[in-house]
Amino acid sequence: MSSAVTFARNTAIGESPTFPLRVVDGLTLPPDYRRALRPGEEWKDATGHPRQLPRYFYEVPSWDSAMKIELATHFLLWEFIQVDVREAAPLRTFPRYVPCAITLLAVCLERFREAVGTLVHISANGGYRSPSHRFSKNATPHAWGVAANIYRIGDTYLDNRSAIERFSLIARETLPGVWTRPYGAPTGYAEDHLHLDLGYVLSVPRDVKS
Amino acid sequence: MAITDVRTAARERALTEQIEKIEAESGAKAIAVALHDTETGFELHYKADRWFHAASTIKVPILLGVFAAIDRGDLLPHSRVHVRNRFLSVVEDIPFRVESGRDANSAVHNAIGKMMRVDELAYHMITTSSNLATNLLLGVIGAKAVNETLKELGVDEGIELRRGVEDELAFEKGINNMVTADGLLRILVLLSRGKAFSPALSRRMMDILHGQEFNQGIPARLPKGTRVAHKTGEISTVAHDAGVIYLPKRKPYVLVVLTEWDPTGSGRSRTIASISHTIYEFFTQFPSDE
Repeated sequence: MSSAVTFARNTAIGESPTFPLRVVDGLTLPPDYRRALRPGEEWKDATGHPRQLPRYFYEVPSWDSAMKIELATHFLLWEFIQVDVREAAPLRTFPRYVPCAITLLAVCLERFREAVGTLVHISANGGYRSPSHRFSKNATPHAWGVAANIYRIGDTYLDNRSAIERFSLIARETLPGVWTRPYGAPTGYAEDHLHLDLGYVLSVPRDVKS
Repeated sequence: MAITDVRTAARERALTEQIEKIEAESGAKAIAVALHDTETGFELHYKADRWFHAASTIKVPILLGVFAAIDRGDLLPHSRVHVRNRFLSVVEDIPFRVESGRDANSAVHNAIGKMMRVDELAYHMITTSSNLATNLLLGVIGAKAVNETLKELGVDEGIELRRGVEDELAFEKGINNMVTADGLLRILVLLSRGKAFSPALSRRMMDILHGQEFNQGIPARLPKGTRVAHKTGEISTVAHDAGVIYLPKRKPYVLVVLTEWDPTGSGRSRTIASISHTIYEFFTQFPSDE
């Protein structure tokens, strides 16, 4: 799969020369990956508004590397890419591809972690998941790599109104512009986790000439 | 009528009378028994077409559905499933949760937010009757696929899978999973003969059923060391056990005992164990001369 890589490791001035993941233009990936990732395509959100899906991805070569790569001080890459059998089959094997904006989410979660003062646990299927994931009905910021479902903070399970609303407030106070799902059962609400996202953020690495 | 047929009919009559006696003394509202001996072909069907609330015996058909997905290549035994305690009722898609206190061990509940393998969930669904594991697996494969599997295998008669477990709204509306003793018998005979998908997959399902941790029913009064691959099921009004019994030096027999009770009725496990013991004696004290 590495032959599909179109951009070398990003070593531009001002950016970390040690970040070990290669940037990939999703449009150059093999057809089964393109079908699953739909790079650059439009996808309608729940209100019918079209959103443009990410085109540029980091290539994650192995689970071992995902276990080692720090996206932020307290967040490793693997925490963002746990998907279950509902994910499209090609995207459950390595190499895996995550939108470049995932690093922004990690920085935000690091700040959130500082605010809550304890461990923040992202649930399975609750970090990046592709538009082909069976949970992805409408355009969801999870497919942009900028949404997290948090099911536990420290020893507190976020499965009740009190816990969800308390940490939701902290997230909104800590992260300007972040959106959190209100507590509740209907579609668009959450009652067994805290969902936060940054919207439909696209990250285009600076040495990409698109 | 051949002599052997006469003898078989007499044996069946004697066994039926013993079960009738146990039923009369038990206080149960209804009892059904289905029996198939894979060594001799002997069968008994005592009210075996009567429908009962399936309780957790429905997990055997679901196990079959999971392995059908494995057989098709849709799932692998080590495929991972997100453990989440949120399900939608078949009544208006209203969300509900499974009570952690109803699962005999906390392994699946402790994994909420994480993932577990399909084979782990299948093991917990059967051996400790985890309702959470059951609904998670059903969420992945779907009730429709399970029913199609049963039909393809020719064992759909006597099994009605309509929903997941602990769907209280459905229960209140009378939408329940139902089984007959004959329905469960057909599935277990298929499994015991290695005819469910492949001998290897049948064996894996039997291995899981052998891990059953609730042994107050069929195995309770069998000789120590008797191997029983089985699945129990119990709610306030029913108590069931369905399994394959392996005695030394003979092929196994398959036994399903379904019982229905008043919510306050007692002696459920004792009744099932008593029927199981009666059948054990039937096979060991009066071995077939066929």
